Amino acid sequence: MMINNKTAGLQLGDEPILRCTGIERRFGGVVAVTGVNLEVKPGEIFGLVGPNGSGKTTLTNAITGFYPPNEGAVRLSGKDITGTAPHKVAKLGVARTFQNLALFNGMSVLDNILLGRHIHMNPGVLRTAFYWWAARPEEIENRKVVEEVIEFLQLESIRHELVDGLPIGLKKRVELARALVAEPQMLILDEPMAGMNQEEKGYMCRFILDARAERGVSVLLIEHHMDVITGICDRMLALNYGEMIASGIPKEVVKDPRVIEAYIGGSHG
Amino acid sequence: MDWVFLSELAINGVLTGLLYSLFAIGLVLIYKASSVPNLAQGGLTMVGAYVVLALSHDAGLPLWLAIPLAALIMFGLGFGIERVALRRLAGRPVVMILMLTLGLDIFLRGTTLAIWGGTSRSMELGVSYDPLFLGDIFISRIHLVGAGVALALFVAFMLFFRTRTGIKLRAIADDYMASWSVGISVERGVGLSWALASVVAVAAGVIWGEIQGVDQALSLLLLKGLTVAVLGGLDSILGAVIAGIILGVVENVGADFLDPLVGGGSRELIVAAVLILTVMIRPHGLFGRHDIERV
Repeated sequence: MMINNKTAGLQLGDEPILRCTGIERRFGGVVAVTGVNLEVKPGEIFGLVGPNGSGKTTLTNAITGFYPPNEGAVRLSGKDITGTAPHKVAKLGVARTFQNLALFNGMSVLDNILLGRHIHMNPGVLRTAFYWWAARPEEIENRKVVEEVIEFLQLESIRHELVDGLPIGLKKRVELARALVAEPQMLILDEPMAGMNQEEKGYMCRFILDARAERGVSVLLIEHHMDVITGICDRMLALNYGEMIASGIPKEVVKDPRVIEAYIGGSHG
Repeated sequence: MDWVFLSELAINGVLTGLLYSLFAIGLVLIYKASSVPNLAQGGLTMVGAYVVLALSHDAGLPLWLAIPLAALIMFGLGFGIERVALRRLAGRPVVMILMLTLGLDIFLRGTTLAIWGGTSRSMELGVSYDPLFLGDIFISRIHLVGAGVALALFVAFMLFFRTRTGIKLRAIADDYMASWSVGISVERGVGLSWALASVVAVAAGVIWGEIQGVDQALSLLLLKGLTVAVLGGLDSILGAVIAGIILGVVENVGADFLDPLVGGGSRELIVAAVLILTVMIRPHGLFGRHDIERV
């Protein structure tokens, strides 16, 4: 797949899509994340790593408004979104997936993906009442995007199946599809490859790269698989005990003694 | 066996059962969005009836105006309950929200007692009390009207859940996290479900108020409504309608057989047995999602 000019022409001087400064989040007396700064530039795939419990998901939740940060600021394309309610963050163009999946289990694959389009739907009573005149063109446009993503992620054969019964690899793909149809400027993927075999991981990497290339989306990718991080991320940040321990180009960061210490040499499992 | 009498019992059972459904639809609406059986639905129904009375008898408005106006007021009250009370409890254990709805029920009963007193008042809908004859079978007109209202609401809500707003509520019922992440305001959706349930409470309050008078006893409809909702599966509107019909028929026909044997009062026993047996044998009810366990 060719990478188009929009994303290939990434310039470091661009205004970052996402900028977090001095993020701190506490739960009671526990400081889950503190002093974290990160910037994701347009079209960038930014990796976030760290051992279990190092604060990766908490940081994600602080950005997306699920657990607003106690200190620090989150900016989306320069706009302060610190502490904005999660559904409003979604409306501003941040789509996410969840480590433990958050799908509409009682609905079909298609309905799940259609709901991902929600932020582009205008649910006005009048528009619904005059569906054929007012809402139908919009509906057709929405369906077009949904069909493209279904084809892109190869979900055609299971589109009418209930999500509940799918294997985890497919569920992860449905969740990615739901995030992509929102046409976000920022896509946050929380361990999209957890529990996948090598082949499925390969597919998922391909999907993420293609999503960036074709849709120009910027990605914040939480992953444990270092091969994935070094393989597809432009830059990365490593966390340990809620603090930044290293950031920069993946090939260099993974050689950083503190990162190696955190992952394999530490006194904490 | 007197077949005419039996079919009369059955048909009136169906009609009474649909009146239980009318009440239970309100419970289902809230359960669908918040996974909580709303123990204040009886209280809301009673308040709905009192608001209609206040507008029609006290303020002198005609009923055709008083009822929609009451529905509008109750719609606002439903939203208000979410905003003031429930929002703080978002994410807390379900039992907390359950206790809150119980507290709300007691609060509503106390408030109506303080404002309007405890004397039973009549709704005076103007529906004739002359029985309707279907061949040799007696049918109560008000029950027939109520059953019609229940079916109309059933159809309306089935259509509603196909609209975008309805699908949003279904999504909220399914998963809060997922809903937030696709940009749905869970808080507003839960508020809307309370608002709609409060409107249903007006309909149930008017019909039941006409049948048994308007006083605090209206809130006790909760027991039968809850039985119907549980039997139907708690999150299924179709379930509430079918379960209502089943309970109405079983109660009406069963009581006729059992009352002579036990000396009366077997209706309550039948309702209790249905509730207990449902929870023991089929906790997800007739049409509920299978992951719904005992509440």
